[in-house]
Formats: sequence, C-alpha cells, structure tokens
Amino acid sequence: MTTKKRLIGAVALLWCVAPLTTVLAQAPAPAAAPTTQAATAAAPAAAPAKMITDADIKGIETPSATDKAKGDPSGTITGTASDIPITDPKAGLTLADLVNTVGQNVVATNFVWTLVTGFLVMFMQAGFAIVETGLARAKNANHTMMMNFMVYGVGMAAYWLIGFAIQEGGVGAVANLGGTAPLNHEVTMHLFGKDWGLFGTQGMMLGGATYDVGVMVMFLFQMVFMDTALTIVTGTAAERWRYSAFIISSFIMGAIIYPLFGNWAWGGGWLATLGASYGLGHGYADFAGSGVVHSVGGITALAMAIIIGPRIGKFRRDGTPNAIPGHDITIVLLGCFILAFGWFGFNPGSTLGAATNGNLRISSVAVNTMLAGMAASFSGMYYMWIRYGKPDASMTGNAFLAGLVAITAPSGFVNPMASVIIGVIAGVLVCLSCEFVERVLKLDDVVGAISVHGTNGIWGVIAVGLFADGRSNYAGAWNGVPGSVTGLFYGDAGQLVAQLIGVATLIGFMFTFGFVVNMIVDAVWGHRVPATVELEGLDIPEMGALGYPEFVLRTESTFPE
Amino acid sequence: MAFIGLIVTFAGFLIAASSVGIMTGTAGRLVMVLAGIAVSLIGILGVLNPAYQKNAIWKK
Repeated sequence: MTTKKRLIGAVALLWCVAPLTTVLAQAPAPAAAPTTQAATAAAPAAAPAKMITDADIKGIETPSATDKAKGDPSGTITGTASDIPITDPKAGLTLADLVNTVGQNVVATNFVWTLVTGFLVMFMQAGFAIVETGLARAKNANHTMMMNFMVYGVGMAAYWLIGFAIQEGGVGAVANLGGTAPLNHEVTMHLFGKDWGLFGTQGMMLGGATYDVGVMVMFLFQMVFMDTALTIVTGTAAERWRYSAFIISSFIMGAIIYPLFGNWAWGGGWLATLGASYGLGHGYADFAGSGVVHSVGGITALAMAIIIGPRIGKFRRDGTPNAIPGHDITIVLLGCFILAFGWFGFNPGSTLGAATNGNLRISSVAVNTMLAGMAASFSGMYYMWIRYGKPDASMTGNAFLAGLVAITAPSGFVNPMASVIIGVIAGVLVCLSCEFVERVLKLDDVVGAISVHGTNGIWGVIAVGLFADGRSNYAGAWNGVPGSVTGLFYGDAGQLVAQLIGVATLIGFMFTFGFVVNMIVDAVWGHRVPATVELEGLDIPEMGALGYPEFVLRTESTFPE
Repeated sequence: MAFIGLIVTFAGFLIAASSVGIMTGTAGRLVMVLAGIAVSLIGILGVLNPAYQKNAIWKK
C-alpha cells in the first residue's frame, strides 16, 4: 500500500468519524446527569454533517501484513482501520463497528484521564504525610506519619461501605464516563416549592447494579478526594491526638460528614440545584473542591482544634503563643512540591474527562492551578519577609498550598489573570489567618491547616462568584443550567449568592455537624492523650516505636514561662 | 455556653439557607446570606470558642 493511499484512507476515516455522533442514531448517546464535578449532558458542538455508508467504509484500505512486518518506525501505519474490532468477519468492517469504536474511544480517553489524575491525587497523601510530619516534632514522627498513612485505609473503608452511596448514589448518569446510570436514587425533601436533594442511596460496597465500569472510575476519583479532606484534620490535631480516637473520628468523617456536603455540591444535592431551582446563577459551583474537600477538612479541623485544645507549651500563662518549630523543614517543602504535583490531578482531573464536552479546557485548568500557586508563594513569602524580616520557609510553603487550595474551585471557570489575583490574595490571607487563629482564637494548629484549607477554601468558593468569566463551556451547561458559570465581575450577582450559601453551609452546618460528632467521640472515647504521654512524645506510648530511634530527643517537662 | 454557641452557629446556616424561600430578589438574598454567615461566625468565634477557652490547658 502506497503512502498516498494510506493518507487518503486516513483522511477518509477522519472525515467519517467527525460527524458520526450527530448523524447516526445507533451511536451511544451521552446521558445527562443532574450535577457532577464535571460537565454533563448535551451533545458536542455540531459539525457539518455528511452521510456515510458501509460502502465508504469498505473503500478504506488498510496496511498489509507485509507492510506491518517491516515495522513502523514513523508510526504512520499503526492505528488504522485494521485496528477497529469487527463484530462479523463475513460482513467485514461496518458503520456500526466504526461508530461503536469511536464511542468507546471517547469514554476510554475519559476513563484513562480520570483514573490517572485520580492516581495523582492519591499520591498527595504522601505529600500531606511528610508536610505534617516535618512540621511536628521528632518525638511524634512515627505517630504523625501513621495517622497520615492509615487515614487512607480508614477513609477508604468508610467511603466504600457507605460514604460513596451518600455522596454519589443519586448523581445519575455522568456523560463523560459513558454510564454511572445505576447511581440513580437521591433522597429529597420538598421545601420552598422545590425538591432539595439530601443524600444518595445507591452504591454501598459497590454492589448490585453499581458493579459497573463507569461507577468504578467515579468511586476511585471521588474516594481519593475524600481522603484528602480527612488528612487535613490530622495536621491540626497532631502531637496530642489519641491514635484510636483518630481512627474513630476519621471513619465517621469518611462515612458521613464529608459525603453529605459532597452530595449537596457534586451529587445532585440542593446546593448544586440552587441555580435550576431558584435562579441563583448555575447553583453552587465548586469545580474541584475548595469547599467540598478543603473547607470541609479545614472546618472540621477548626472544630477539632477547639475540642482537643492546644499542645502543652504552645501558650504561655498569659496566653501569648510559643513557636514550636517542626523538626524537618526540608521534607515540609518537599511535601509541598509533591502536593503541587498531585494538584495537577486534583484540578484538571475534575473535568472527569479529556475528550468532548468542552474538556479540552483541562489545559486552562492546569495553567490556572500552577499560576495561583506561584502567585501565592510570592505574596506569602513577601508578607513574611516584610513583617518579620525573613522569608519564612514553612509559611511560604503554606502560602503555596493556600494558593492551590483557593484556585481549586475557580480553576475551571476563570482566566489566568484572575488566577494570579486569587493566588496573591490567598498567600497573604493564609498568613493573616494563621496569626488570627493563634493569637486571637488561641487555637493550636500544628500545620496551619485551618488557615490553608479552611480559610482559603472559603476564599476559593467566593472567588468563583467573583471571577468566573463565563468563557468555560462544559457541554453548554453547568448544574443543569444552560450557559457558562459567570461571576459578579462579569455580570451575574446570583452566582455570588449561590457561592455564599455554600459558605454559610460550610460554616454553619458542616462545622456544627463535625463539632457534635467529635464532641461525642471525645465524651465517649477521649481525643487527647494524657499529659505525660504528650510530654514524652506519642511515638513510644501510642505506637510502640520511635520514628527516629537513633536520634537523641529533647522532651519538655515543664511549661515555658 | 458551648451548646448555645452551637445553636447560634446552626441558626446562621438556617438564616442563609432559608433566604432562597423567603426572598425573591438577589439583593435581599445576599443580605440574608451575609447575615447568616455573620451569625455563624459569632457562634463559633464569639461564643463556642471562648466557652472552651475558659478551661484552656495553659490557664491551669
């Protein structure tokens, strides 16, 4: 087969494929979902239609066995019509074969994208682990690392048993994943003339009809997000949290607390439908989880900080704070880099696909993410440099993370300039918030998680309502409302109101819920280790082994003056 | 006082959430939602946390 013929065949194939989804009825149609993290429903943009027939298909020449036997160093004869599976060898390649292969390739692209980005998010657990351990003292290294290690398994078990069903059990069919239709039952409450989605019910232990390839992708991706929220709390309560209480608290958070807000925002719940039901923009829009993941984690961390109290020695008798430096700033900054790497899964992956439905915007999402992190690290570093005379390393790292947290919700809706502005504000905000939490509230947050994830998560949610430029187009709709998410600065004040209702829900409902749950755990089981254990370090009493057995550890036996 | 703090915090959420049913205009809803957020913040920062700080470990 000549090169010219191969070229003609390839062009013919491409020409046929482009309009197929709009022309042929037998093509698997993308189904609409009420709300998801990604775009839903609607068909791709219309292309010029050209009817094709089986005869056109038959005319496509394929590379011969002889050509293939010579190898394909240029890659021009690998991946042609000969690679399309044929259902009936007697009939040869048919339109149905071609169309079904195209449909499956779209979904396969989205599967691979979502799974790989989910793997990146899972790797963020390693980043959190070393950031938190580095900011803790060496005498608690084993304990802190073990909490971060096991939160992955504890959270996953809880989410598999019940959490996923609560969050996504009523989401409906997600177009990008070509299925997930078994996730079809949402419990609702009729209020103010509309149905308010409260929680889903399908998908417990991934049994029954939810034993489905699309549902599996959804589970993996959502599960690693949930684990991110859980591990935020361990950073705040480190160095004094009983290991057994941590397991109980994390299990409940993974099973109920996190999934509930996840449902309201991403699972077809009432926050997502504020636009369709009450005309508030496109409803609560949280592209990748500044609110769902980071604020829920940060708000729960705030509740834990109040309940568990500060570490011994954190505050002097007059209430002024003592600095308790972490034991390894090098792994803290390394952890920040790992987290930033994982964020390329967190934000761009939240399209839940790379093919069709406007998902090529993944490039914009990725660039927005990196720009916001950069801007925040600059503003945070300079804030500390100007205020305290040195560019504090741990706060610069926290500012970097704060920028990434803040851009998480808006990353899919804003332009690069807005991302930089959001990041600059986040970098300063995290420094101010850390000072407020420590000096005014007199709370002990070992890693600054309340400020990084709670405060800046809320800032990210609000930023959507301000900076969304109305230029994104995820299949022409978001949360069931046609058009693009548009913030106040681009003409839609209703979107800001929807975002603020989300903030009120985080502060008013999720805080209360998390506080009551952890207050009960504290009363029944006890969150805090005894003072003697805390002074010795939690590694031996709680875990049975030191994190660094060959180190000579300095322990504190008295209150600082 | 801690219990009152929780009640106030939750009441802020109720104010904000009910804005969609009570108000029809965006401005009215915005005012109610902001009021709800303020109430919740007062509940956490002004009532609940101070109640816990009374018995803070560094005061003992």
